[in-house]
Amino acid sequence: MNQIEILEQLCALPGVAGFEHEAAATVAKYLHPLVNKVDIDSFGTVTGTLICPVAGAKTVLLDAHLDQIGFVVTKVLENGFLRFAPVGGVDPRMLLGCEVTILTQKPIYGIVSCMPPHLLKSSEQEKAVPIHEMLIDTGLSHPQVSVGTPVVFRQPLVELSGGAVASKCLDDRAGILAILQALEQIDRKMLHVNVVAMFSAQEEVTSVGATAGAFRAKPDYAIAVDVSHASTPDAPAGETFDFGGGVMIGMGPNMNTAFAKSLMRTARAHDIAYQIEVMEGNTGTNAWGMQIAGYGTAQAILSIPLRYMHTPVETVKLSDIDATANLIAGFLKDFHGEVYPYA
Amino acid sequence: MLDLLKTLCCMDGPSGAEDVVREFIRSHAAHFADDIRTDAMGNLMVFRKGIKHPAKPVMLCAHMDEVGFIIKRITNEGMLKFGFTGGVDPRVALGRAVRFGQVKGIVGIKAVHLTTASEREHMPKTKDLYIDIGVTSKDEALAKVQPGDYGTFDSDIVEFGDGLLKAKAIDDRFGCAVLLALLRDKPPLDTWFVFTVQEEAGLRGAATAAFALRPDLCLVVEGTTAADLAEVPPHKQVCALGKGAVIPFMDGRTIYDEGLFDMLRQAAETQDIPWQTKHMIAGGTDAGRIHMACAGARTVGLAVPVRYIHSPVSTAALSDMRDVYALARAFLEGIAQSIE
Repeated sequence: MNQIEILEQLCALPGVAGFEHEAAATVAKYLHPLVNKVDIDSFGTVTGTLICPVAGAKTVLLDAHLDQIGFVVTKVLENGFLRFAPVGGVDPRMLLGCEVTILTQKPIYGIVSCMPPHLLKSSEQEKAVPIHEMLIDTGLSHPQVSVGTPVVFRQPLVELSGGAVASKCLDDRAGILAILQALEQIDRKMLHVNVVAMFSAQEEVTSVGATAGAFRAKPDYAIAVDVSHASTPDAPAGETFDFGGGVMIGMGPNMNTAFAKSLMRTARAHDIAYQIEVMEGNTGTNAWGMQIAGYGTAQAILSIPLRYMHTPVETVKLSDIDATANLIAGFLKDFHGEVYPYA
Repeated sequence: MLDLLKTLCCMDGPSGAEDVVREFIRSHAAHFADDIRTDAMGNLMVFRKGIKHPAKPVMLCAHMDEVGFIIKRITNEGMLKFGFTGGVDPRVALGRAVRFGQVKGIVGIKAVHLTTASEREHMPKTKDLYIDIGVTSKDEALAKVQPGDYGTFDSDIVEFGDGLLKAKAIDDRFGCAVLLALLRDKPPLDTWFVFTVQEEAGLRGAATAAFALRPDLCLVVEGTTAADLAEVPPHKQVCALGKGAVIPFMDGRTIYDEGLFDMLRQAAETQDIPWQTKHMIAGGTDAGRIHMACAGARTVGLAVPVRYIHSPVSTAALSDMRDVYALARAFLEGIAQSIE
């Protein structure tokens, strides 16, 4: 199976934050052949453990979050329309006319309904419709949907030019793929550290999956593999990074500087394209919670540059996923459990 | 007819680039046609002899084009600046997949994390929108697309709800499908089946087709706006899905012929075909050109109600489609009966 096919399958898994169990069962299957054992906890966090032959070896945790942004049904109207609320942050401006899947036992197709423009004054057309005024059209006169049912974007993966793809929830299924690709490159018997791969629940709300998982795994080192903003014409240049520019290595208080610098040395040694992403405070990722879980970890963040985050058409370049996977694998192969702060 | 409609909706024919649709319709029509013509605009006019031969054939009309995109400029970063061909609601374009032939793209909107509160409250201006095809330079983009290339929404077919169909371009591939389905049987009287271009660009194709054919009588088969959505007040709902064929009496461009309107209404009532009319006088169809062509033509319309028209998720009811088809057939029979 090729990379795009796996990504397509990962992105198709429904896993709105708080509703990850179905997705967890499937990613556990992907993980199985690559690790010694796989566990799924009560939140839906999937953990796979690779034990190295060295006694008393340190542990490196690789985390990518399993959950995705989505919606939840808050009211069922009489004529088949559904009121909904967002789970995770979304821009209301790209929701009108958006296709969604309502995750009932048998999923239901829906469209975020939209007033025809000629029925609106031009001043009304210029204003964004707030999400609490939007409705999902199921086309059913009596939809069997209960309040609390999760809803996801329906957008299937689209293959773009230049080795790029667009899909819903590449945040953070692209990160999951990067970890799976890295594990494929690793021979457990050659490792000097134990590796725990974790696909965690509820990053988009509280990061509870990753913090609970890190507490349990007690890693010495933890890498959050997530996505971060790639440049687009409408985004501030100073807050975005090169699309196709390689893996982003995070620096700042949420990250252990020696660990970050070690990763950069590995990237240079293996000729892997990387960019430095400096974050001066809360990174808004699982790293923020994992760093202080239990006795704490030496933390790193590797990010895949992604455009249009939290839309149905999140876009990544496959070469950036490869760079991330290769950096993780390259680092783990040579890692004996100590990082050094020199450049 | 449903399979035909699905095939037609999957084809790309934005106003100004209807070639693929025209060639498909031509190949389907050829077997039944007694005469096929095209003109400088790109209209397709198909004649079939009927059982009766009035002095002038009757004309049926549907438009082949759909709303879409045209590339205006390519930025140094490889993004496509574009214009809409036809009346796309820019609000439904954000974050949608589009295609220029085999080249896929998306209408970009920066991550919510990078927006300000006031940005999130106002829709971006069309001139600020761009399409991302995945490349990062102008040269890479130019290897895939050129300024002047036409595109459409990239949207699949979904049957959902209580007998609904979602697709792009239901307006007016539905009309094309009705005409093609009627063309398969020998019509009750000599008939021109006319497939026009550029309706969405301002009823352009119908002008030359009607001038060339000079019909006395014409039926335009269309898709029309339905706003039967929850929380829309009844006086703004226009028409409703599942309530039958729309027989309009008037829109922004045409007052439809009273006699023909009555004939259709009576046909619907005697044959028990559900029908409704439009409760809002807005928009326009090819009838706007046809009824004014040459010395004028008595013109009437039939339409299927479409929610989210001019968007990638236009939605219509299968039952309404059947009702429009039945009434279009009844129209030809009624006209044939009236000429002895």
